[in-house]
Amino acid sequence: MNPEELPKRVLEAYIGEYASGKSENAVNRALELARLGRKVTLVDLDLVEPCYTLRPLKRKLGEEGVTVLAWDTGEMIGLGETGNILKPEVRFCLRHPGDVILDIGYGSFGAQVLNLVEGAAEEQELKIYAVINIARPMTGTVADIVDHVRSLGRVDGLINNSHLGEDTDLDFIKQGALIVKEAAAILGLPVIATSVMEELAPSLGKTDWYGHPVRVIKRYLPQAFW
Amino acid sequence: MGIIEGEKKAFMTGNEAVAWAALVAGAEIMYGYPITPQNEIMQYWTRLAPKHGRKFLQTEDELSAGFTTIGGVLTGKRAFTATAGPGNVLMQEPMSMAEAMRIPTVVVVQQRGGPSTATVIYSQQEVTLTCFGGNGEGLRVVYSTSSHQELYDYTIKAFNTAWKYRFPTFVLADGYQAKMRESLVLYDPEERGIEMVPTEPFVGKPGMPGEDRPPAHLRNTYNIEEELEEVLKKDIQEYEQMAPEIIEYDEFNTDGADVLVIAHGVVFRSAAMAVRKLADEGLKVGYFRPITLRPFPQEQLRQAAAKAKQLMVVESAYGQLLKLVKDNLYGMDLPIHTHLRPGVGVTPEEVVADLRTVLEGRED
Repeated sequence: MNPEELPKRVLEAYIGEYASGKSENAVNRALELARLGRKVTLVDLDLVEPCYTLRPLKRKLGEEGVTVLAWDTGEMIGLGETGNILKPEVRFCLRHPGDVILDIGYGSFGAQVLNLVEGAAEEQELKIYAVINIARPMTGTVADIVDHVRSLGRVDGLINNSHLGEDTDLDFIKQGALIVKEAAAILGLPVIATSVMEELAPSLGKTDWYGHPVRVIKRYLPQAFW
Repeated sequence: MGIIEGEKKAFMTGNEAVAWAALVAGAEIMYGYPITPQNEIMQYWTRLAPKHGRKFLQTEDELSAGFTTIGGVLTGKRAFTATAGPGNVLMQEPMSMAEAMRIPTVVVVQQRGGPSTATVIYSQQEVTLTCFGGNGEGLRVVYSTSSHQELYDYTIKAFNTAWKYRFPTFVLADGYQAKMRESLVLYDPEERGIEMVPTEPFVGKPGMPGEDRPPAHLRNTYNIEEELEEVLKKDIQEYEQMAPEIIEYDEFNTDGADVLVIAHGVVFRSAAMAVRKLADEGLKVGYFRPITLRPFPQEQLRQAAAKAKQLMVVESAYGQLLKLVKDNLYGMDLPIHTHLRPGVGVTPEEVVADLRTVLEGRED
């Protein structure tokens, strides 16, 4: 990525269907920005799901230069039974200097949870991206994606994150890119990127078959079970 | 037209796989009460059900979820419920009644840590409860799955086993399988030649009871000892007759194994990886995996064990599978090593390390 193309502050929220890859995309985006030498804060706004969240990755990401706003697992009470309490500093995350990447959980009615973040409604630079994996059965077709994205509230762009875990091949990602592109056209939204796991990325280059930028994904979340 | 056209690869959690399986199996209604880690079965079912004319009822607790599931089945609906941990404890009262009345209920259990509320995360501590819970003889079927594909396949199968043999049927998984994400193939059972056993109402049938048809006389209470014994004898006989038809297991490298590893469920995956790794190194290790924990593949395990020098039971509980194994190997004289981690996951590396210790004779 050409650093000059980036805005002064990158403010991005990742939302979408359950298990669509929101956290994985948010983590990788935060690391990508940090590697450019930028100051990056990654925010856990998942108030429901006790699994596959940023908590177990906090230290590792910290070592790679990303500030993570999330509880430590040991600080949690009623894990998984009662929903999660918003960590107070999360409320003021947009006041952190530098880039802020928000990972928003599935159970929070799309972008609605941003109501809990000070300044989110006024912040012009904040972009909300819906992460789509066509292997998720409820977002498998153009029509389903259109319905789904419309249910999320405000969305500024789509990310094609189509994959089948370890069984992913390029054909499948291409199929996803086409479906997401068609859905985006109906929604009047841009496709921000196609995310491709690092094993497959070399055969794709900087853009996908339809000219969408390629983001390389290293999978961190399988290590983030609890 | 089927719900799924052809074979569809999907990437999902185990809980979602259960909801999809129930949908394609023709389940008409789910009754349930929320408990982690099975919540997304309900959550996903409530998203799918309205699109396909299916129903859902959230009850006030698991006692009620179990009894309403029985009620749904009595009216001829393919009904199911799902639960975990302390919910599974409450579920035992209605499932005892299902056992008594031979009601084909289907219950999916995603085991969590125990006893009591313990953790919402994971364990294999509901084996004894699911196999033998309630105040009866454990006349039920328990399938222990180890992957999302199996959760899908066995949830479909559970409806057919239940409705064919009329014993309460359980799909026993765990919090890891519930929440993990992996790919699987979705299909309509019909397209694979799997015919769903037709359902029928138990009550309110047409005709005059006693004249046109036998009366529907569903009993879970009896007046005298002999009356009860007569019914139980018949049920036990039918259960034992059914057992060979539905018992399932998996085994590998059992011939002359220095150590035969026994594991079930998601722990089986770690055990199998460990065994295959050591077998590739030329070591004489094998595995035996019961898929049906009830009825247990007794003869098959005894045959495998007879060819082995030692056994090793691996589970995320403190001896629940071990108890089943010992019971079923009664009279055989074989050393049994154990790797028991109640409420905690088991990695292949741990099993490899323990197996090496045993193989090198460094352990008791």
